[in-house]
Amino acid sequence: MNAQDADDSGNHAGYVPVVTGAVGYVHNVNAGVTTLEPQINPVLLVPFGSHLLLESRTEFTGFFQRENQTTGPFTGKVFKSVDYAQLDWLANSHLIATVGKYSLPFGIYSERLEPIWIKNIQDAPIDVNIGLRTSGAGDGFMLRGVATEQPGYTVQYSAYFSARSNINQLQAARTAGGDASIYLTHPRLELGGSYQRFLQDRQINNASAYVSWQPPSIPLDLKAQYDYTRTGNGYWLETAYNFDKLQIPSLLRRFQTVGRMQQFFALNGGGNGVPAINTQRFDFGLNYYIHDDFRVISSYGRSFSAQQDANIWNVGFTYRFVMPLWPERKK
Amino acid sequence: MKRYLTFLSLLVLLLLGGMGASALQQDQPSTPSSQKASSTASASASHATQLTGEQVFQANCSRCHTPPMSIPQRATGTIIMHMRVRARLSRQDEQLLLKYMAP
Repeated sequence: MNAQDADDSGNHAGYVPVVTGAVGYVHNVNAGVTTLEPQINPVLLVPFGSHLLLESRTEFTGFFQRENQTTGPFTGKVFKSVDYAQLDWLANSHLIATVGKYSLPFGIYSERLEPIWIKNIQDAPIDVNIGLRTSGAGDGFMLRGVATEQPGYTVQYSAYFSARSNINQLQAARTAGGDASIYLTHPRLELGGSYQRFLQDRQINNASAYVSWQPPSIPLDLKAQYDYTRTGNGYWLETAYNFDKLQIPSLLRRFQTVGRMQQFFALNGGGNGVPAINTQRFDFGLNYYIHDDFRVISSYGRSFSAQQDANIWNVGFTYRFVMPLWPERKK
Repeated sequence: MKRYLTFLSLLVLLLLGGMGASALQQDQPSTPSSQKASSTASASASHATQLTGEQVFQANCSRCHTPPMSIPQRATGTIIMHMRVRARLSRQDEQLLLKYMAP
């Protein structure tokens, strides 16, 4: 491990072990039922030189509700899970090989937008569990990287195989799959797709298609994803607008507005982590960046289904932290 | 059918809102956050390198999150290795980001 050395390319980046991640708290009210959700998601990063990286993320999430849902004292517990614990070999410009427990690269949400300091609306999409059975992670190996990088476009890929495991904190299903996307540099448009074959019990196919677009002239972020599995299919579409380019007082430029709409259509009775009935939902969010790593979040959503229409409120904060575990070299 | 129309209307409103807000803005060379990012680059670094590193950031990192400005320099290499794995970046992009974030 290098404590802190200038890289061979002349920069002064340090390669020290780091604990990073996020702390957050969400006060959620769903159909009149209040849930208090404090959480901390530390990520441990240990580099061995500049080509080998050990990384692990653990999630501690509290879940506290009133004893009788709407009355009584708050009770609950803290859930702990290891999201990933993997060793990465950054072999060359085109290949990264990963072994261990890794997040399944299915769609755009689970692997990229799921951290609490990144996601604009704290509640996950209705169809988020498609392609993520049984734990959202795979145990095995994965190859990923850049297939080709041209001035006008970049093609990225992931391919993996996961073995079945019932070991505590290493639960995973036997699956194989992959993801590929093309990013068009000038319009800043990404188009991608994921496929997964679930290889245990009843073998099924899961598929996803997604788009991510950040128009160069507008601080707008548009993301959408469609997911399909045997028990249902659905889509979500999210737009976020940052005020930071507006000619308004600087305190107001830290606002971000978010909107998301989604629909889910149950098939074959639903199940496997997705609703058994058709569900629709829209959300509006207003976030405020007090600092680049600390923001206040809020959102209102309304969910429609044959079972119940409900209002969902979220208020809270997220804080991203970075703590080097190695002291700075004295000069 | 009514709900579908409601959803469609909301989508159109969202897009129109974004475009309307953008009409209020004037052309600026960079956002406040990216200006902050640029300020981390040393004066001796070449302008071309700053631009390229910033372009790599805009093309990859900004697809998912806002610029993190408070990373200690001694942790930058590790964080960018981590992000190279997450975002499937090339070695060249990693090097440009290192020059941009820790010049």
